[in-house]
Amino acid sequence: MCDQTFLAITFGPCDNCSQNKPLMNIYLKNEPINYCSLCVELMACQGLAKGETTNTLKAESESLKAKLEEERAKLHDVELHQVAEKIDALGQFVMKTRRTLKGHGNKVLCMDWCRDKRRIVSSSQDGKVIVWDAYTTNKEHAVTMPCTWVMACAYAPSGCAVACGGLDNKCSVYPLSLDKNENLAAKKKSVAMHTNYLSSCSFTNSDMQILTSSGDGTCALWDVESGQLLQSFHGHSADVLSLDLAPSETGNTFVSGGCDKKANVWDMRSGQNVQSFETHESDINNVKYYPSGDAFATGSDDATCRLYDLRADREVAIYSKDSIIFGASSVDFSLSGRLLFAGYNDYTINVWDVLKGTRVAILFGHENRVSTVRVSPDGTAFCSGSWDNTLRVSAYLRSSGESELRNILYNTV
Amino acid sequence: NSSSNNVLQARKAVEQLRLETELQRIKVRSAAQLVQYCQEHRRADPLLTGIAASSNPFRDKKTCVLL
Repeated sequence: MCDQTFLAITFGPCDNCSQNKPLMNIYLKNEPINYCSLCVELMACQGLAKGETTNTLKAESESLKAKLEEERAKLHDVELHQVAEKIDALGQFVMKTRRTLKGHGNKVLCMDWCRDKRRIVSSSQDGKVIVWDAYTTNKEHAVTMPCTWVMACAYAPSGCAVACGGLDNKCSVYPLSLDKNENLAAKKKSVAMHTNYLSSCSFTNSDMQILTSSGDGTCALWDVESGQLLQSFHGHSADVLSLDLAPSETGNTFVSGGCDKKANVWDMRSGQNVQSFETHESDINNVKYYPSGDAFATGSDDATCRLYDLRADREVAIYSKDSIIFGASSVDFSLSGRLLFAGYNDYTINVWDVLKGTRVAILFGHENRVSTVRVSPDGTAFCSGSWDNTLRVSAYLRSSGESELRNILYNTV
Repeated sequence: NSSSNNVLQARKAVEQLRLETELQRIKVRSAAQLVQYCQEHRRADPLLTGIAASSNPFRDKKTCVLL
């Protein structure tokens, strides 16, 4: 504390005596107060409680300083892996590809699971959006979009529609018909309009509203039926690449990440940016909430994934290795939040122990960049989409008695 | 004059330190709750515990599929 904190830097009416004087900008109980120097002195003298002197306050200050150093020494800057020290480490995992979905003519850019835990929608650079049955690998629906690079797709909560978009700057909703012969494109509904590419879209808790993010630097909430813009979210200074809605129990917020290296948390009703995190060194490609809603993970072109604690308002873990030098394009948590699946531009998927910060598995198999990774709604499997035009569904199977320690090789069925 | 400045300075310092201590407690508590969530839900996480091959819907395809 030095005297410079009391230099007057503004001139105006004093909050107390209303006279125009040089003002001292000070903080009392976190509230900013603009008093003139006379009123500050008066207040200081009046505020002196009985028995309270400079000495007693100094003594309290010293004892608090000591306590704080003690706390700090105990936990440094509170990294998650330190708090999780006593938790058992996980063994190495062996996960195998169980299904390969072939049919896209070009890079797979995005995918989403249906709530029925077996259907998947995927979108590709070739302009096609395909709905698959992941159990049988059958294609159930296919739509050809009027544009290439369909970067975003999402399944409606009811399972009765899909949304998608990309270079057309729009998000369109296609109701899924039971009649396989019906031309889905005929029932297409244009919902969202941005001024640049659509990077990500997600239905809210119902089929009625869609949240979108765009290369135009904004996110927006739309009414599906009318196509009306309900709320827009401004704050990113570059393309927004990804968004994720908070798990419904934790209220109306969502997180977005983009090329400005920032991850922003938004209040859906007011449009306000309530929290912002900027520790990544490059574009944030993907954001995903921790299952409890109290944290979220990011994957970035800086080759790291990070975990941000919303209540502590800070980054609490970094998932990285010197040997990983390619960007992480997509991340998702397992059901308990213990595992983080991350797809990378070096064609691999790394599985991280979220609490300890260590890697517990690497999956090989894709023959080009992994662009999207999603865990199924019941947590039994995860699906990865890649620039090698395929999607793969992988799971961790326990075989009774058999040792699972083999090389992980791509395994078609 | 200088003594009232000192009082104000000292009070501000005390307030600041109280805040920092509370913040530190919040950070620790929050991290502990993240850990607790994992522990509470670990048994219900199929990708963590693995599923017996017989009950996994993604086990190897059979030749006949009933639709």
